[in-house]
Amino acid sequence: MNKSQVLQIKNLTVSYPLDSEKNAELKALDDISINLNAAEIIGIVGESGAGKSTIGKAVLGLLDPPAKMLAGEIKLLGKSMIGLNETQYESLRGNQIGYIYQNPMTALNPVLTIGEQIIEAIEANTNMSGKDSYNFAIHLLERADVSFAKDRLQKYPHQLSGGLCQRIVFAIAIAAKPKLIIADEPTTALDVTVQNSVLQTLIKLSKEEEIAIILITHDIGVVSETCDYVYVLKNGKHIEQGETVEVLEKPKQQYTKSLMASVPLIEKRLHRFSLPNSNSEINSLNLDYLKEERNIEFSSQQAILQIKNISKTFFTPASIFKPSEAFEAVRNVSFSVKRGETVGIVGESGSGKSTIGRMILGLEDLTAGSIIYQGQDLSNISNNEERLKHQLSMQCIFQDPFSSLNPRMTAGENITYGLKIHKLIDANKAKSLAEDLMEIVGLKKEDANKLPHAFSGGERQRIGIARALGYRPDFIFCDEPTSALDVSVQANLLNLLKDLQDQFSLTLLFVSHDLAVIRQMCDKVIVMKDGKALEKGNNDDIFESPQHNYTKSLLDSMPKFSGIATN
Amino acid sequence: MISYITKRLWQSGLLAFIMSLIVFLGMYVVGDPVEMLSEEDWTEQDKIELAIELGLDKPLHEQYLNFAGDIIQGDFGVSFVHNRPVLDLIVERLPATLEIAVLAMVIGLSIGIPLGIYSGIKNNSRGSRIISFFSTIGYSTPNFWQAILLIMVFAVFLKWLPASGRGLTNSMFGIEWAWLSLDGLKHMTLPAINLAIYKICMQQRLAKSGTQEILYQEYMTFARAKGITRNRIIRRHLLRNILIPIVTITGLEVGGLIAFSTVTETIFSWPGIGKLLLDSIHMVDRPVVVAYLILITLMFVFINFIVDVMYAFLDPRIRHQK
Repeated sequence: MNKSQVLQIKNLTVSYPLDSEKNAELKALDDISINLNAAEIIGIVGESGAGKSTIGKAVLGLLDPPAKMLAGEIKLLGKSMIGLNETQYESLRGNQIGYIYQNPMTALNPVLTIGEQIIEAIEANTNMSGKDSYNFAIHLLERADVSFAKDRLQKYPHQLSGGLCQRIVFAIAIAAKPKLIIADEPTTALDVTVQNSVLQTLIKLSKEEEIAIILITHDIGVVSETCDYVYVLKNGKHIEQGETVEVLEKPKQQYTKSLMASVPLIEKRLHRFSLPNSNSEINSLNLDYLKEERNIEFSSQQAILQIKNISKTFFTPASIFKPSEAFEAVRNVSFSVKRGETVGIVGESGSGKSTIGRMILGLEDLTAGSIIYQGQDLSNISNNEERLKHQLSMQCIFQDPFSSLNPRMTAGENITYGLKIHKLIDANKAKSLAEDLMEIVGLKKEDANKLPHAFSGGERQRIGIARALGYRPDFIFCDEPTSALDVSVQANLLNLLKDLQDQFSLTLLFVSHDLAVIRQMCDKVIVMKDGKALEKGNNDDIFESPQHNYTKSLLDSMPKFSGIATN
Repeated sequence: MISYITKRLWQSGLLAFIMSLIVFLGMYVVGDPVEMLSEEDWTEQDKIELAIELGLDKPLHEQYLNFAGDIIQGDFGVSFVHNRPVLDLIVERLPATLEIAVLAMVIGLSIGIPLGIYSGIKNNSRGSRIISFFSTIGYSTPNFWQAILLIMVFAVFLKWLPASGRGLTNSMFGIEWAWLSLDGLKHMTLPAINLAIYKICMQQRLAKSGTQEILYQEYMTFARAKGITRNRIIRRHLLRNILIPIVTITGLEVGGLIAFSTVTETIFSWPGIGKLLLDSIHMVDRPVVVAYLILITLMFVFINFIVDVMYAFLDPRIRHQK
């Protein structure tokens, strides 16, 4: 069957001027060519800065100034789109090309109803009006698998869930039966179970309406489940292209190979990510400080942390008109963590997984239950000094490396600031300790003098780890430490955490929404939903023979990617 | 929505109560009315009798209850100077202030917001820079100086518009209004423009910063990706979102215009309440000042309530708040 060509991009180059005087510029896209046929889904993958989103924006004529299209040709249905003015673009957008945004919550205008937003798209692109467009809006919502379509028209975006909002965005995108949809990270902001069904809707629409789709994503699993054909980009340059199976499982280029090796797998647990250029050895330099006081009994059989039936209930503030409402974030959860072990908590947003960590660290009070740390019930310690000693031996690595470092302190100061306050080190030794810690986490000694903005996200997260290590902690709570990072950076960071754990016999509590990361990192796994621990067990048991239906559905909805073919 | 409004209403009542307490205590602390009202040749006995007549011998809370009770019944006392009920004086003057305040606000909004949106969208263009230049000047030169310039240009040199007084008035609903006659409108123009200059500049700045913030929201790009025309995006998606801060400021500004147009009213001899206040302070006409303070307070409370309700109308996220 000879399918008609929908989109042809030839040698597209887009640049951002960096410095107007020196003529410096950043090539966001460098000589990119893409072909797309009707009813075909192609994936564009790459890490941040690869220029994936720029392709979509260039096709729609929505490049933000000062970005400029320097060279190349874009043809939609055989007609060139170069040099169109704004009015001509307006008639193409929505009509011939639909666009789906990464975050559905921000793509919909918060002060207009769903109905207003769909109907205006219908009326802008078709001849319908009044009752016809209202009925068509309901029809579109039903096509996009939105339940109770008629009621939803009256609602505002903040009243609906992320998954529903994304389906509404789909409905808007297909309003004028476009030939092409550009979907920019359409499922990144969604929970895994929702992600799966949203993707199914997208595939269905593509097949039934004969719409060609460009799927821009960093998620290899999504690509492998959805796309017919894949393009790999890096820093605006074309790296590799081909049939999805070929590219993902038998990549030819070095970059693609390392990218695929970085993807955490769900099928099998590896000791480390086999990254081609990873430096696994921590040069054992000045480790005396970190080693000292650590030679307490290393018996791995002993539980360092026991959580007994803890619950947390949040109350909305009471007013004269409303009694306070209770929200049970955590319900009767128990588990224990042995020394040197990694326990993972996995669950979707709102499942209460972070709240548990916050309670252990003492950032939230317990509503019920007890936390026994190193043999002592934390809530029974009345002596402030002793409590502080315990709290200092528990540290946290935060989710967002961009907001968890003080932007006005250098990396080194960020690392040693708290240590100085608690008089754990001499002020004059702080600098050399900070430098040592920087080296331990794989950064350069001299960079301790730089401010956080000079580092990339992955490097900042390393600084965050160094800061936690400075306290010689026995226990570290890792709250989604890699969810803001690219896969290759994530793989490096997870390797680092494993190395550090071996070296300093750290105990980790690892919270993540990403099943594959949990699979790779943790010895024991707790599956949570709506504040309840539904299933607890060893890594292999949970992932290979899950008992609870929810765990099964989580595993089923994970996009499958089996990794590079080994032979 | 109804629970939101009743909640706001309740809060407004509480606010009014607290404000009446502050005004009452302020009045109680500052000065002794007996000393102010008594003649030089009065004996101690005369003064005590006056104090009893004014109710000053009663305990504080009882005095407050009397004071509040009188206000609720609309009794604000009698002016020392004019020897007439204070409320009559104020109500007589209020329409004059209201009409220039409303006209000034209408001018301010209808010129300021479009200019602001334009300069927000076309940021760094020549037009935007010219607008910002004038708005900075309008914002930073004193109000009275602008008034004198207006009088010089339009009343003295060009002789287009009268410089003082209210002109002919016509009656509507039993109240005299200047805007119902051409002569009155002419008299209104200069003071209203004088008040409006500040408002134009302020609305321009507000609308500009709002526009620049909203313009880069994803739903704006998504609206363009939907294929909606530029005008419609500005009218529907942009305007609705920038109105929220504008409504807050406009509410407070309307209150400010009504309460504190004193300078403009004095320069243009406009017989509004601002001028009444100034005259009363000069002649130590205490009941007028107190009544003025209370009424202004109540007005601000009322405006705040209206602003809160408008919020809920504009922003569904507030409407659906629990």
